[in-house]
Amino acid sequence: MTFEQIIFYLFSAVLVAAAVGMVTVRSPVYAALCLILSFFTSAALWLLLEAEFLGLVLVLVYVGAVMVLFLFVIMMLDLNTDPLKEGLVKHAPVGFVVAAVIAVEMILVLQSAPFQIATPLNPAPANNTEALGAILYTDYVYPFEIAAVILVVAIIAAITLTLRRRPDSRKQDISQQVQVKRADRVRLVKMKAETKEQA
Amino acid sequence: MLGEYLPILVFLAVGFGLAVVLLGLGLLAGPRRPDAEKDSPFECGFPAFEDSRIKFDVRYYLVAILFIIFDLEIAFLFPWAIVLDTIGVFGIVAMGIFLTILIVGFIYEWKKGALEWE
Amino acid sequence: MNIVIAMPEIFLLSTICLILLLDVFLREDCRMITYLLTQVALLATALLAYGAMDGEKTTGLNGMYVRDDLAGVLKISILLLTFVVFVYARKYLKDRTIWVSEFFLLGLFAVLGMLVMVSANHLLVVYLGLELLALSMYALVAFNRDDGRSSEAAMKYFVLGAIASGLLLYGISILYGLSGKLEFAEVLTYVSSQNVLENIPLLFALVFIVAGIAFKFGAVPFHMWVPDVYQGAPTAVTMFLGSVPKVAALAMLLRVLAESMGAAQPGWAQLLLVFGLLSVFLGNLIAIAQFNLKRMLAYSTIAHMGFILLGALTGTTEGYSAALFYTITYAMMAAGGFAILILLGREGFEAETLDDLKGLNERNPWYAFIMMVFLFSMAGIPPTVGFYAKLSIIQAVMQAGYLWPAVFMVVMSVIGAYYYLRAIKMIYFDKPEQTAPIQAELDFNILISVNGVLMVLLGLFPSALMGVCSAAMVASRL
Repeated sequence: MTFEQIIFYLFSAVLVAAAVGMVTVRSPVYAALCLILSFFTSAALWLLLEAEFLGLVLVLVYVGAVMVLFLFVIMMLDLNTDPLKEGLVKHAPVGFVVAAVIAVEMILVLQSAPFQIATPLNPAPANNTEALGAILYTDYVYPFEIAAVILVVAIIAAITLTLRRRPDSRKQDISQQVQVKRADRVRLVKMKAETKEQA
Repeated sequence: MLGEYLPILVFLAVGFGLAVVLLGLGLLAGPRRPDAEKDSPFECGFPAFEDSRIKFDVRYYLVAILFIIFDLEIAFLFPWAIVLDTIGVFGIVAMGIFLTILIVGFIYEWKKGALEWE
Repeated sequence: MNIVIAMPEIFLLSTICLILLLDVFLREDCRMITYLLTQVALLATALLAYGAMDGEKTTGLNGMYVRDDLAGVLKISILLLTFVVFVYARKYLKDRTIWVSEFFLLGLFAVLGMLVMVSANHLLVVYLGLELLALSMYALVAFNRDDGRSSEAAMKYFVLGAIASGLLLYGISILYGLSGKLEFAEVLTYVSSQNVLENIPLLFALVFIVAGIAFKFGAVPFHMWVPDVYQGAPTAVTMFLGSVPKVAALAMLLRVLAESMGAAQPGWAQLLLVFGLLSVFLGNLIAIAQFNLKRMLAYSTIAHMGFILLGALTGTTEGYSAALFYTITYAMMAAGGFAILILLGREGFEAETLDDLKGLNERNPWYAFIMMVFLFSMAGIPPTVGFYAKLSIIQAVMQAGYLWPAVFMVVMSVIGAYYYLRAIKMIYFDKPEQTAPIQAELDFNILISVNGVLMVLLGLFPSALMGVCSAAMVASRL
């Protein structure tokens, strides 16, 4: 076994353990942390496959942004975690059957001839990021632009579903503060000086 | 090629080892005498009034989601920056259209007041 | 590269961006402008799509986009149906306090996703178009956010939809691993060189892809989301969801299964046969037990989707044309049926149980008559178009040698007719429980009348539409 293979099996073992932990631990915060660990180890596996860009993006987007949102929701939100776990034992047999079926299918697929190639058909490019970029913005420009549209739909959907105006909130509008004129705030009134007798 | 990542691997190993050693030492060497009072949540000398989880304004999540979307957009910019000199004008225009579409979304969220903190 | 080829999509996207920008700068009471622009954009895009139909098959954008007559027919039906649905939806949204432009914007994005799917020539593009459609739909279902049921429906739809997308993507990735190709023609070359029934990995890829497609159709056993989503979503969204995306789902089936894996027809036909028969069976039986009208229509949709799958599995030009004819006419009657539900509802009241149909004839004979036409058409009773649609599917199925499935379909249609006729009986022979007047604006009335009359006209002269459908299939070499 080469050094690379040892590293591969090490990370794979951690990945499987983290994934199992993610579905079995009781606390949702631990589950989220397990998920982060499994993302990290998958990123490491991708690095081993010399797909650096994908590995780094996985860390950047999933660990850096998505999981932070997850943790934020789990830690802050007023949810009772006990009922969430109730079905686990009851549904476990079905889950195991599905998992077994998928596993058998994957083994059958991966053992078939087209996947039994010792060396890749095309040698891995020296620079994964460059190889991706070379076709992503030229050959694949149509899917690339559709991706932008999907992101815009995500923006609109998020705003439509969650944004609420609060009529009672007191907010500071700096541009209005700056634009205020003296006349809006102070009124100078001319009047006669009062004397003691008049009072 | 993979050799370049060796320092990171070493770093991971050292980080993991250090965590194990420090926690293990604390576990082994430190005195541990837990009792019910010590293990209960503590809030300024009182028993805890309420759970730390409360109903939270959805606005926080909205900001986080909008951040993720633009985070993804940034991820598309990295390979583009690397190959810019080989893909030429076509690549610049492609990214221009990509960004224009997202800027339309950005204007939408700005004008809707999704970025404002009331 | 040939970018001009994607003119309808580019035009629609640019218009959406313009409407989006204009909308945020408009005052609250100018929503009507957004609505009108949306409708103009749909019609103009339909014109562009019509202009692009030249009887030839051209690919562009690096082989990712295809322009042929099939795409043209599908696009025009999607755009015109959406136009009609938006007219109906306006009444619903205005009656309630959800008259906001996001409905139309998300609807337009969904339409764009459908157009992308229809013109896809590459598995990646199919997937992206599908996601664009699905994402807009999830948001639309949750659109009435103060309604708990609507949010619940959206959650179910989202979770199940995400799993289905995952299945589809998994299938595509296995296929890519086997062939190293994603473009339809190249995938077909690979599939043709294989013995499908003995190539295990290819069969697995096929199973996952068919499962993903069946979910989008809502065919049994991937139908669990349909009733809950139909019931929970606002009626205007149910109408949109229940009509237009079916056309896109058929487009996906034709492009992915017939076009890129046509040589694997013996493989996927078996799956579609099982799914189709189960859908026709369960959909019709469970619909009988439903007293919620929206749920009943949901199960009836499942049964109709079974018919479409059975038509498509034949792998013949007649089967594909019959499936296309069925899909387009079904989308028309579904839109019309839900439009009547919208008419019966009003602010603070959703018409969704069968009892709400009672005595519709006494309240408004014309609407009652149109609803009867829609129900007749769904049941497949002559002279409505539903009869001819069912007939042509059954003919195609029999010609392809599936005798017993054809007999089974006839039997199930007869059983299915029961719950449609029950609804018609309620419309004509029961006393009304509601007395509120039913009224709508002129454009709504004109369109619903045209929609109803078309059901009869197309039933009497089906060759007009059938000719277009089969010509499109022939032109696309399917």
